[in-house]
Amino acid sequence: MRLSRDAVEAIAAEHALGTLRGGARRRFAELARSDAAIGAIAQRWDEALAPLARDVRPVEPPARVWRAIESRLRPSRPQGVSPWRALGLVSAGLASVLLAAFLWIAATPPGEPLFVAVLTAPDAAPRMIVSMHAPGVLRARMVKPWRVGADKGLELWALPKDGAPRSLGMIANAAAETQIRIAASDARILAANALAISLEPAGGSPTGQPTGPVLCSGVIAPAVKT
Amino acid sequence: MSAEAAQERLAGLIARAALGDRAAFAELYRAASPKLFAVSLRIVRERPLAEEVLQDSFINIWNHAADYARSKSAPTTWMTAIVRNRSLDVLRRTREEPDIDDELAANLADESASPAGEAAARFEARSLARCLGELEAEQRQTIALAFHHGLTHSELALHLRQPLGTVKTHIRRGLAKLRDCLMKEA
Repeated sequence: MRLSRDAVEAIAAEHALGTLRGGARRRFAELARSDAAIGAIAQRWDEALAPLARDVRPVEPPARVWRAIESRLRPSRPQGVSPWRALGLVSAGLASVLLAAFLWIAATPPGEPLFVAVLTAPDAAPRMIVSMHAPGVLRARMVKPWRVGADKGLELWALPKDGAPRSLGMIANAAAETQIRIAASDARILAANALAISLEPAGGSPTGQPTGPVLCSGVIAPAVKT
Repeated sequence: MSAEAAQERLAGLIARAALGDRAAFAELYRAASPKLFAVSLRIVRERPLAEEVLQDSFINIWNHAADYARSKSAPTTWMTAIVRNRSLDVLRRTREEPDIDDELAANLADESASPAGEAAARFEARSLARCLGELEAEQRQTIALAFHHGLTHSELALHLRQPLGTVKTHIRRGLAKLRDCLMKEA
């Protein structure tokens, strides 16, 4: 038996309001997760009533709450830890990483790069080398392609010191180099201090922000002169 | 900072958290937790419970930061919904609440519940104040109490000293009126 539109709206409204409780609340929440149409209606009602929460007077939570959150974030083992997380901590593999960059730069055609980034996977293995060249070319070369489905793509992100990641475009999942035409003065490049690759749908993230897992990442290092 | 700029900043922090940036996540917590803590406090009413809710909610936010990008709602709406849902879950643990025996809720038993008809147009969020203003005072009051304090139909009836049926009607009619009004403004 299909629920009428009116019935779904009424239930979704009471769910957003908070008066739908118990088993009914759990069932509706499950429906909203599994059915896109119902999920959209549920979200619409959450947004409709959200302004009610806007004017609450803030209350500073005690420091122990953040400490508890932090301790739960720390992974017990590095399994699947995001390379961006590992990045901030590791300076040990840096020498080998820079060496790999040095060798690669030495092999590239004339015109020194303006910067180089070696992007490493969670296991610290170098997977991509990205370099920026004047007058406006970003070169991304894969050390080793990933095994991904045909419906997926690799998207390159510039990470500024503050603010949201910005997309630089899609990278071919192949041994051949991907070249991206972008000015060195482009705001995304100027602000970037690291790069990352995330796994996205084939055409890129539908939202303009990363939606999939990070495959590799790396800080932008000044180019090594030969 | 304008409200829009503040929301954009939070969205950026969530996107960075999705990539595993813990500094951004810490900044997100600094910026958003005081209001979210207050939202939970109003519902669960005990500080230890609210602290537990806040903790669980932010772990949830960390684990699902990538999902936020797909949802397209405002960052505070997304985070507030997480905190409100967690708060109501916690209430369920601490108070004995009978299952709602509504004809509405009974319909949810069917799995193929997907509604017929085209996708919903978005409501205009900024019209809520105006649409609330068009409700009868009792409808508005009941809805406000339910939202802010997480009161059930039974608790509202007790608090307002009204029959349960009257309270349910206020809520249902009030929400239906809101829906009509919000769709008009959109």
